[in-house]
Amino acid sequence: MTLLETENLVKEFGGLVATDDVNLTVEEDERVSIIGPNGAGKSTLINLITRRLDPTNGDIRFKGESIVGLEPHEVVQRGVSKSFQTASIFPDLTVRENAEIAALASERGAFGFEFLKHRDSLTDVHDVARDTLDSVGLLDRANTVATDLPYGDKRRLEIGIALASDPDLLLMDEPTAGMSPEETKSTVDLIEQVKRDLGLTFVLVEHDMEIVFSISDRIVVLSRGGIIAEGTPDEIRGNEAVQEAYLGGVEL
Amino acid sequence: MSEKDANPSAKDALVGGSLFGRWEKLRGREGTVVGITAVLVAVFPYLFARAPVVSGILQGYQSLATLILIWGIFAIGFDLLLGYTGLLSFGHAAFWGGAAYAAGIVAKNVSGDPIVMVVSGTLFAVLLAWVLGFLSLRRGGIYFSILTLAFAQMFYYMAASPLAFLTNGENGLTGVEVGSFLGVIHLEADVPSVGGMLLGTWLYAFVGVFFVGAIAVAYRILNSPYGMVFRAIRENEQRAEFVGLNVWRYKLMAFIISGAFAGVAGSLFTIHGAYVPLQSLFWTESGDIVVMTVLGGAGSMFGPVLGVGLYLYIENIVSTIQALTIPFTDIVLIRDFGFYWHLLLGLVFVVVVWVVPEGLWGILDRLRTFAADLGSKAAKRLRARSGNGGDGR
Repeated sequence: MTLLETENLVKEFGGLVATDDVNLTVEEDERVSIIGPNGAGKSTLINLITRRLDPTNGDIRFKGESIVGLEPHEVVQRGVSKSFQTASIFPDLTVRENAEIAALASERGAFGFEFLKHRDSLTDVHDVARDTLDSVGLLDRANTVATDLPYGDKRRLEIGIALASDPDLLLMDEPTAGMSPEETKSTVDLIEQVKRDLGLTFVLVEHDMEIVFSISDRIVVLSRGGIIAEGTPDEIRGNEAVQEAYLGGVEL
Repeated sequence: MSEKDANPSAKDALVGGSLFGRWEKLRGREGTVVGITAVLVAVFPYLFARAPVVSGILQGYQSLATLILIWGIFAIGFDLLLGYTGLLSFGHAAFWGGAAYAAGIVAKNVSGDPIVMVVSGTLFAVLLAWVLGFLSLRRGGIYFSILTLAFAQMFYYMAASPLAFLTNGENGLTGVEVGSFLGVIHLEADVPSVGGMLLGTWLYAFVGVFFVGAIAVAYRILNSPYGMVFRAIRENEQRAEFVGLNVWRYKLMAFIISGAFAGVAGSLFTIHGAYVPLQSLFWTESGDIVVMTVLGGAGSMFGPVLGVGLYLYIENIVSTIQALTIPFTDIVLIRDFGFYWHLLLGLVFVVVVWVVPEGLWGILDRLRTFAADLGSKAAKRLRARSGNGGDGR
């Protein structure tokens, strides 16, 4: 089943075409990586899908329904979640509360009137938060204030928040950016494990080619806003246009 | 230290059965908070205005005690918006003054029943907060603050002249006659026997009940999903939107809830003074509540009440001091000391915010941590010494 589909998607900033007629499909249970040189329009594409940006033209469909015209939180409620490039967490809240915020949104909807209800009675929210923290390995730090976590753990928490939203599709914007080799390895392990345990569909934007080639079912190569190639890691490795535009000189 | 404290409760949370136990404990704690508040509210006017020695030093009086609770309710609600949700409104005079006028106008034209006055004033403030929040929250940051300020000033000018037939313009709303509570109790009368010694007037008791109620409701809200969502919005609004929360509606609710608190307080202000000054809609009132809240400690439930207390104390009591003398002598340090109360307030504000950004509540918090540290260190030393002593023998 096709989970996500963009049709002739165009985004222009003034005269600059950041996204040029992109037709992207992501099937259920697929791991798709988007690669491309700096300024290729990877982040713009992600921001269009999460409704942070309005497209100039074209359509985005999730589970067959257009999501153009929805608010960002409505897109998340439909099942598209995003982990940010930087550790975008709630710094003064505890690790547990960070996860609970996301779990609250997924279990109880975008808005509710329960302002006189004690939050300890929301057992479903607590369960989801606990399970998520367990799966990202932060359960033993649940009561730590998030800002006190080391950077690698903050990034894990960031992914945890995205997972606690209970998504069908997870968009990951450079999940290993700024990480040490050890942190990168444990993050890759985490992604593999989450993929196995939760059966999520991923779209990954990543610079680290090693990760991209080891983790992806399919790779989409962007250059100057448009898709110049897509295929399995092996096909991309052998693709001359890709070598030309992007990978020239890089040892694969 | 916090690690040690944190771990057992993390384990507790893991065991499903004890989750209920924890919930029970927290509910118990809510009862404790409300109970302690009620006791403090009950003894406050006695200590402030009547107790031997203490009240002599404080120079307090009954009606100021009432006023402190009224502004306290206002500040508790304002802090839900400023301290917890991170939204700085510069227009809360609209809800405070608007409710005060609504209650006064209802009293003059419909019914002077204090309950009717509070309900109608609060309803008016809630509706107004809904509309102004809807318009102002379209923009964030400084633009939000300026929009709230502009809307509130519009109400000030409306009340000053176009609506003078309702509000009595620059003279303020005079001739408000507050009826008796439930038709029997005159609010200005003293509470009989021991109650009278503690509480003083029925008016104070009436306001006190609303104050304790305000604490209970605020505590509930802060421990509900809303409390968590508000803080999440303050911390990282974009992330809150991207976990799927309708941030806009939560912000509007924060605004309306704080408007409701301001409405209760404004209505009580009319009952307290039987008069609504035009000043109550002026932007300086909006500024006062910001200063009180920050002085007391934004982001804590009781802090803003301390800020209110100190502010009103300096405004009403320190300002009446004729000459500052060295204690127990007649040597005058500063003549007309009270005349400079604004300056003193400014100095206190600057020093507190500069030294302890978490305000008066932050100072108490630090003192408590300090005392706890001293205690545990002393205990450790004692233990070590007795251990050494044992070895020596």
